[in-house]
Amino acid sequence: MKKVVLYTLSTCPWCRKSKSFFTEHKVSFTFIDYDLADEATQSRISAEVDAAGATGFPFVKINDEVIVGYQPERYAKALGIRGGAQ
Amino acid sequence: MNAESRKSALRYFFEKVVEPLGFKFTPDAELKEFLLDQEVILEAKHGTPFCPCQPLRHERVRDMKMVCPCIPFHRAHFDAIKRCWCGLFVHKDVLDPNTLPQLEPKDVGLE
Amino acid sequence: MSDKFVRAIAADEIAPGGMKTVELDGNEIVVCNCGGTYYAVQRRCGHMNAPLELGTLDGTYLTCPMHCAQFDVTSGEAISGPVPPDLGHEALPPRLGAYMQNIGMLMKDVRTESMRTYRTRLEAGWVEIALCVGAPGRLAEAGGISKVLPKV
Repeated sequence: MKKVVLYTLSTCPWCRKSKSFFTEHKVSFTFIDYDLADEATQSRISAEVDAAGATGFPFVKINDEVIVGYQPERYAKALGIRGGAQ
Repeated sequence: MNAESRKSALRYFFEKVVEPLGFKFTPDAELKEFLLDQEVILEAKHGTPFCPCQPLRHERVRDMKMVCPCIPFHRAHFDAIKRCWCGLFVHKDVLDPNTLPQLEPKDVGLE
Repeated sequence: MSDKFVRAIAADEIAPGGMKTVELDGNEIVVCNCGGTYYAVQRRCGHMNAPLELGTLDGTYLTCPMHCAQFDVTSGEAISGPVPPDLGHEALPPRLGAYMQNIGMLMKDVRTESMRTYRTRLEAGWVEIALCVGAPGRLAEAGGISKVLPKV
């Protein structure tokens, strides 16, 4: 079972879509809405996102693979499952 | 502040900025209204209409690059994917914005 | 009580996109030329009273020069409040720092109110503004005493 972690924003529709993708494919995941998090959490996420060279959200980690942006085909491929967007 | 009035003002100001850059508002009306609603909220909270899809770092110089319209700061990237990151703006010739995936710079051979 | 149109300023004294201030019967008013249509709003910003003719007019949106509150001149509506200034990260001298902190705390409570507008019409090359006459405490008859205030 792959570990899926999302860094998202409560104001971003693409983040919402990426959460829906995992829900609809019955893949369990955890997420943090960065904009609603405390300063310490924001700092930690910010450093991690910078290290990966990303500037936008959603920031999706499937095990060690990082996928930035709403990219259902790549999510599916990383999970080894069929199907892109519903 | 009335959110609808603020949205009208943002539509007016943004159109003038993005048009000479070769962009227009997305034809996806629902997405456009949703993103503008978020920007009104962000502006009320932070004093500036930031991109709803990029994380604020609370460092002025970095966050300036996320003030909507942020196209000038991401020109090569957005021109390559024909849209801005959150999708509020697309290239003028785009008829169906659903055909534009949300790709990073490295996905299109940049940086 | 009734409205009376009073001559305010010659229409061609204000270039398109420009603003001029007049004072009519004690009312400080900014007259805006928005592409040939003239609007009149109160001169004092609904936030902290700054003189709006020193701000920016873009279309029918007026931005205050002091803290950048924005108003729709067609309705006087406040459409956005002040923009917080960037004061940098350097420590201020103690007394200045304490003063700024106090001001900042008080300013959080300052509201940006929507503004009074005045009806206008063009008559023989003049912008005329409707004033309410006969109200208590005002001149019984607005004598059309119009002062174009000099730009500071």
